[in-house]
Amino acid sequence: MVPERRRPPEASSKSSCSMMSESPRNRKPDLPFAPFDSTNLWCGDRHGRSFLEFSPPLVTQSSGLFGPDRETKSKKQHEPSPVDDPVMDWNPRLMLSNLSFLEQKIHQVQDIVRSIISHEDQFLDQANELAAQQQLVTADLTYIIIQLISTAGTLLPDIKNALLSTNPAVGRPGSNQKQHEILPVEVAKASQYDSLIKDLNSCGGKEDELIKCSNNSGVEASEPIPIEDHDTKDNDDGMDGENLPPGSYEVLQLEEEEILAPHTHFCLICGKGFKRDANLRMHMRGHGDEYKSPAALAKPSKEASIEPQPLRRYSCPFVGCKRNKEHKKFQPLKTILCVKNHYKRSHCDKSYTCSRCRTKKFSIIADLKTHEKHCGRDKWICSCGTTFSRKDKLFGHVALFQGHAPAIPMDDAKVLVTSDKAQVSEASSGMPGNMGYNFSGNTSLDAQSPDIKGVDDGHGCFSPMTLDACNIWGLAEFPHSAYEVSESTFSFLATGSCSSIQRNGEN
Amino acid sequence: MKRAHQQHRHQPFDSILAALSVDLLIQILERVDDPGDRKAWRLVCRDFLRAEALHRRGLRVLRLEALPGLLRRYAACLDLLDLSACPGLGDHALATALFAGAGSWLLKSVSLSRASGVGWRGLAALAAACPRLESVDLSHCVGVGDREAAALAAAEGLRMLRLDKCLRVTDVGLAKLAVGCPALENLSIKWCLEISDIGIELLAKKCRDLRVLDISYLKITNSSVKSISSLGKLEVLSMVGCSNIDDEGLQFLDNGSNSLRSIDVSRCDNVTASGLTSVIEGHMCLQKLNVGDCFPELAPLFLSKLNGLKDSLTVLILDGFQVSASSLKIIGVNCKNLSEIGLSKCKWVTDEGISELAAGCVNLMSIDLTCCRMLTDKALMAIGEHNKKLVCLRLESCSLITDKGLEYIGTGCPKLEEIDLTDCPITDTAMKYLSRCWELMILKLGLCDKISSEGLVHIASNCQNLCELDLYRCIEVTDDGLAAIATGCSKLQKLNLCYCIQITDRGMKHLSCLEDLRDLELRGLHHVTSLGVTSIAIGCRRLTELDLKRCNLVDNVGLCALAQYTGNLRQINISYCPVSSMGLCKLLGTLKCLQDVKLVHLTHVPVERLELALRAYGGQLKKLKLFIGLRDLLSPWLIQMLHARRCRIRWVDKPLVFSP
Repeated sequence: MVPERRRPPEASSKSSCSMMSESPRNRKPDLPFAPFDSTNLWCGDRHGRSFLEFSPPLVTQSSGLFGPDRETKSKKQHEPSPVDDPVMDWNPRLMLSNLSFLEQKIHQVQDIVRSIISHEDQFLDQANELAAQQQLVTADLTYIIIQLISTAGTLLPDIKNALLSTNPAVGRPGSNQKQHEILPVEVAKASQYDSLIKDLNSCGGKEDELIKCSNNSGVEASEPIPIEDHDTKDNDDGMDGENLPPGSYEVLQLEEEEILAPHTHFCLICGKGFKRDANLRMHMRGHGDEYKSPAALAKPSKEASIEPQPLRRYSCPFVGCKRNKEHKKFQPLKTILCVKNHYKRSHCDKSYTCSRCRTKKFSIIADLKTHEKHCGRDKWICSCGTTFSRKDKLFGHVALFQGHAPAIPMDDAKVLVTSDKAQVSEASSGMPGNMGYNFSGNTSLDAQSPDIKGVDDGHGCFSPMTLDACNIWGLAEFPHSAYEVSESTFSFLATGSCSSIQRNGEN
Repeated sequence: MKRAHQQHRHQPFDSILAALSVDLLIQILERVDDPGDRKAWRLVCRDFLRAEALHRRGLRVLRLEALPGLLRRYAACLDLLDLSACPGLGDHALATALFAGAGSWLLKSVSLSRASGVGWRGLAALAAACPRLESVDLSHCVGVGDREAAALAAAEGLRMLRLDKCLRVTDVGLAKLAVGCPALENLSIKWCLEISDIGIELLAKKCRDLRVLDISYLKITNSSVKSISSLGKLEVLSMVGCSNIDDEGLQFLDNGSNSLRSIDVSRCDNVTASGLTSVIEGHMCLQKLNVGDCFPELAPLFLSKLNGLKDSLTVLILDGFQVSASSLKIIGVNCKNLSEIGLSKCKWVTDEGISELAAGCVNLMSIDLTCCRMLTDKALMAIGEHNKKLVCLRLESCSLITDKGLEYIGTGCPKLEEIDLTDCPITDTAMKYLSRCWELMILKLGLCDKISSEGLVHIASNCQNLCELDLYRCIEVTDDGLAAIATGCSKLQKLNLCYCIQITDRGMKHLSCLEDLRDLELRGLHHVTSLGVTSIAIGCRRLTELDLKRCNLVDNVGLCALAQYTGNLRQINISYCPVSSMGLCKLLGTLKCLQDVKLVHLTHVPVERLELALRAYGGQLKKLKLFIGLRDLLSPWLIQMLHARRCRIRWVDKPLVFSP
């Protein structure tokens, strides 16, 4: 059961900081980014079944949910999306009908509970029926709670105001609303929701227990500060580089299109796009003398920074991402460049493939270039086939597992050379056993760890690398080494074949 | 026994086996210790040879060509195979030889030290053919690298491995071995300069049974010592010349989780007294402590800590320290069980100090006082008085001692086996006193120019066990002295007669009856001619090293005799000799075991003949010394070929001077 969440846009526009602090709790972390419409539909459907009047406001509420993001990120655009508007005009009549429906519902539940009490003795031997009744009560109560929450949600900006204005001891209706404010927070987490259900179950459907329960949450909710505290703690855990308290910076969220746009600076006259503002300014000189003045060519930021700019951090538009401001352990991105790189790396297709290994893919061309510098240099190979770029990492791996050993990087080069030689000799002397011998010699050596051979073979695929290694080897050794290898190979193989013949003869 | 009978049933009746069965023969053979006598036994008849083959456990191969035949004969029962004298041994030869054993190898120990021709194929064949392999010595095979180590790692049961100076072994090779041979107990990776902390760390994790570890001269840091300190069974740790290790590293050893008995930190420049103190505190049963050349001064704290080791410590090497008399007194008081002390090149060692030490440590068996120049006869008197068990005494360059001092040694130390008197002003009288030590085996008298034949007669009359004699520049020694030595000390193996200029062919003739002689240096003997060399060649068949540098009368005839008779010759120096190309060609063409040849300034040999002789050489040369002027004259092809055969050429840049 996905609970409805809504947040009026006023809250975020008034103080992005407070919005920041509570938004991660209101958002289910793994909510998919794009298909929020389906959620709406589902919600509407769900409620439409039981209570038709509810559906229109619900739809508006849940779509309003995504409003704040858009608004924050497009602050400069200042065009509130039309979906936000219906939330603004709150309908008291609708509210009244909702409440009366809820009253009815509560009465229903009361009746059920009463009947349970009156039939207590009979239920003793019909445990199944009792359980069914309890389930019914639970379901109903849950439903009531959710409806309460969503109904009160329409009042949220007013509550906010009331809370902020002072008055911690708001009357009974206020507390009701407060409860409604806090509950989504709790319900947002599936586990907590489950525990709530469990609580309700354990209450045995008794109303006073339920009240106690809601009172408890109400107490919690009456102080908004602890929530913020909790949030800071979360951030403390998660922040890698900098450790900014959540309120100390402004959060910007760029649109996906904006992030992926090749150019970010456009000429207002001809529309040409540029990657850098400086380039745009250079370009502007062509449009007339007024753009050639030192003032026009100077960096505009200097003038703008007369008034102290608030610390600005960026949020990833991908909902559910840790870099998204809705995430529980939100970690802001420092610069626009960070946003771009992060978004491309994490949420875009990796279209650049390394031409050498043909396995590694990247979404940023610079990453590909960095990789290509090191590709094939993963020379630290374990007998299990795992490769490492650093020796200490390989040795740590070897130390950890029984029977693993480092493979010798020279293996492939030598095998290549010997087999080449063998081929040459095969061609010249016409001895068909050569190749076979070489390979069998190799395998007998590697018999301890048969994986090595697999690794060797795998390496053979990286043709440029193998060639490199071969060349390096040839240069590093004395020029005679090839001769030496071939000599020993031949002699060895000769004995090998001879001896095997002898053995056969004996047999 | 029954089997033996069946085996020899078809023997003719006049066979010795009719009277003596094979096991009786073996029992007789067990009582024959001398290798020469055993050789004689083998030559008696086929049955004796067979009995010897059944009895033999160890085999040292001197000539490569004999290897297949030897292994075919001894394959069944051999435990130990020493191939260290066969540098020409290649993968092919080794693999064939092992195949000849038909897979029934019981070999436990194989020494391939300096057999630099063996590569990974050979080692793989070895590991595959000998499932019981426990010990392998690959020291000084400079070509051995990771590939070879990986091949060897297939021998799972390996317990002892020496990889000294296997220069190409890196962390990867060590890791292969550590993973493949978890039972390793004794490992030496001295001078494997590529090995780093990472490799040592893995070794310490994988080979938990290590007892003896030599990591000398590695470029490792304190973190290696930390990982080594976790080896619970470690007893002997040598880390000579590890200058990156300091006191902090030694403190890791202090954790008490290992049972260290012996530690060698000599030449570790950054180790000081405080680090050693912590080692001593952590290991109260330390037996051997070598701290030579670490830090200059003996700190009082360190000395007082020695008190804690008083019962266990037996060997203490303090080379290069400033050791005052009081320090030696403390050692004498604290270390009652000390059996060996090294004070080589120590400053401030006085008679007083040695007296205190000798009085305190009465069990001393070995005292090294090399270059303790302040010592006089009083010190020797104290040693002779207290150290009755003394076996080894080194007094090189103790220039104040006289014959009187050696009288104390001669009378007080009857068990003396080794004495070094190089550069001491002693005379023949001292030899008379020394001859009382009838167990003497090693006697070094280099630069003792007052020693004459008379002194040698004294020695020869009583010291029959002498096997090493150094008479370097004892210019008074004559042929008569050699005659006495040759008759009295028939077990002599090593003799240095360099620049004993009075010696002539007659002396050589006397020496030729020394059948055990292996190492003979005859540098600068102007009166020795080819005749003398010929008699040596005929008499001393076991000669492996011969130095004839500047023997101005030795020519082709001598070389031809050597070529004909001393088939085991491994090192020869004929620099400055008037030999011609014929003799050289004969020498290099005939001798197959030569490894180290010095051919500087052979003025009678033209370059093209020298080249021809070098090309004609069929064995495995490892070292070649030539005059630098030849570098451009010899064909590059030849030099390349020599390099390809792993021969190292040393070019000498010395002018040709005729007088020595």
